[in-house]
Amino acid sequence: MHMANELLSVPVAAGTLAIAAGGLGIICRKARQVISSDKIALMGIMGAFIFAAQMINFQLPAMPGTSGHMVGAVLLAIILGPHAGAIVISSVVIIQCLIFQDGGLLALGCNIINMGLVPSYLGFFLYKSFTAGPFSNLRTYIGAMLGCVIAIEAGAVLVPIQAALSGVLVVPFATFLVTMLGVHLLVGFVEGLITVAVLGYIQQVRPDIVSDSLVGKVRLSRKAVLVSLAVFAIVIASGLSLFACGFPDGLEWSYAERPDQPDFGPMISNENPTIAKADDFQTRYSPLPDYSIRTSEMGKVTAEEINIAAGWTSFAGVTGAGLTMIFVWLTARILRRKNTVEA
Amino acid sequence: MHHAHIDKFAYQDSPVHRLDSRVKFLVVLIFTAVVLSLPRTSVSILVCYAVGPFTILVLGRIPLKFAFKQILLVSPFILVLALSCPFYDRNPVSAAFGPFIGQVWAGWLRCFNIVGKFVVTMLALIALVSTTRFADLLTALRKLAVPKLLIIQLGFLYRYIFVLIDRAEHILRARAGRKLRSLGFKAELKTASSMLGSLFIRSLATAEHINIAMQARGFDGNWRCLSKLQFRRYDLLFVLVSAVFMLVLYFCVGHFLQ
Repeated sequence: MHMANELLSVPVAAGTLAIAAGGLGIICRKARQVISSDKIALMGIMGAFIFAAQMINFQLPAMPGTSGHMVGAVLLAIILGPHAGAIVISSVVIIQCLIFQDGGLLALGCNIINMGLVPSYLGFFLYKSFTAGPFSNLRTYIGAMLGCVIAIEAGAVLVPIQAALSGVLVVPFATFLVTMLGVHLLVGFVEGLITVAVLGYIQQVRPDIVSDSLVGKVRLSRKAVLVSLAVFAIVIASGLSLFACGFPDGLEWSYAERPDQPDFGPMISNENPTIAKADDFQTRYSPLPDYSIRTSEMGKVTAEEINIAAGWTSFAGVTGAGLTMIFVWLTARILRRKNTVEA
Repeated sequence: MHHAHIDKFAYQDSPVHRLDSRVKFLVVLIFTAVVLSLPRTSVSILVCYAVGPFTILVLGRIPLKFAFKQILLVSPFILVLALSCPFYDRNPVSAAFGPFIGQVWAGWLRCFNIVGKFVVTMLALIALVSTTRFADLLTALRKLAVPKLLIIQLGFLYRYIFVLIDRAEHILRARAGRKLRSLGFKAELKTASSMLGSLFIRSLATAEHINIAMQARGFDGNWRCLSKLQFRRYDLLFVLVSAVFMLVLYFCVGHFLQ
């Protein structure tokens, strides 16, 4: 689910970065009132726990060769509370970007929103709203399950939306959306099961930790697993049939230019003044602003001429860049050898 | 404990390592934004942009093999999206490269564009991270007004990730030694959740010990750092060079190259 830089345009990336930064700022301020300084070590270790927990994988049913692991956002939100949970998960996302290069630097805002802020708060409030009344095993189970599934799906839905807003989507929006939803439905389902199982384990071994969020005794019964498997199968089957008989027409548009209608411009750029302005800026300073199809439509001769000229410049550019890199590398090598000899 | 096996190169010394980490962070951020704002079908200019991070990597004595391995490791998601472009956009476009002129699908141009942008921005990110110590990067982020709580959180995370990953590896090895076949979903799930639970409880115990140790040493919720950042003439030179590099590529070379 990690977004890469390339799925975003600069305005969308900047906007989401601003939202994520503002959100995290507010949460940190809020958390300072809730979290005492002796909770700080706990939060740090919990972040590291999420990393380690993602290494523990297990086989998925009906799909040999694939394995699942937990994401952990909802579990942390249930145990630590949504504010601390959101900070921990966001820091995990930042570390994944900076140390492991998973997800781009400019996509960090999107990633924090999709995987940190949305799942933590949504999952927590869904869980809380189901378990608000007197304790029942079923309600806790449904709460955790729905919390995980809906929270993860909500994050997953945001990915194609952000990509579509950026206008970089070549894959039709509906296809991308359905793929993301399908994959993450499975992820969310497994996440829900594992969250309930881990909550049950912790309650057995260290009941004091979950005393605020869990009153009664949770346990993952065989019946519950079977019923959720059945529900999952029904949802998947109905989703597949819906997809197979063609998605409703209303969704069948893409932000990218449509091959069958050359005049069909990107929908979103005309509506939003900021993006339009950015587009305008780009058009002014880029040599062949739009698709080269447009130029080839202008007339064959000019297109060929432009292409031949452009072909040679691009050749020169690539060769020049390659030569520069070789030059840099060789110089550095020679200098380094000289240094080591002198030393 | 295999600490710092990811950013082992950050502890070397080179002209790039000595740069102010704030400057490096901001330059990489702006560079990424500039590369992303390039038109969606430009390919060859990306190679020119690659010269920048490439130079930094070479100057910082980062093995290029390491950088490309790292990129390959995180690329599957973006590769799937990039390779699906040619299937959805089959408009023939005449593309020319030197003496070769041919018809290709527009989707291929986009595919190469996406992959190219990905590689260039990733090179820049790797150049930043593998030439900057994480503590310095955190100090830089703090100076750039990232909340204190988040900085402490990140510092902790970086310090303990490898400890807990080691522990998880022990648990995994124990399971592999005892479980010699597939147990069916219910049993697999139960085993995995017990493993996660015990990892969780042990992490909590660690956190309690660390907290006691920190309180005993007078931790009051503030983050103090030894490394002092200084903006020197040397950093100004770096800023100027990279600004000229980006401006020239964007406004001059960008007019001729697609």
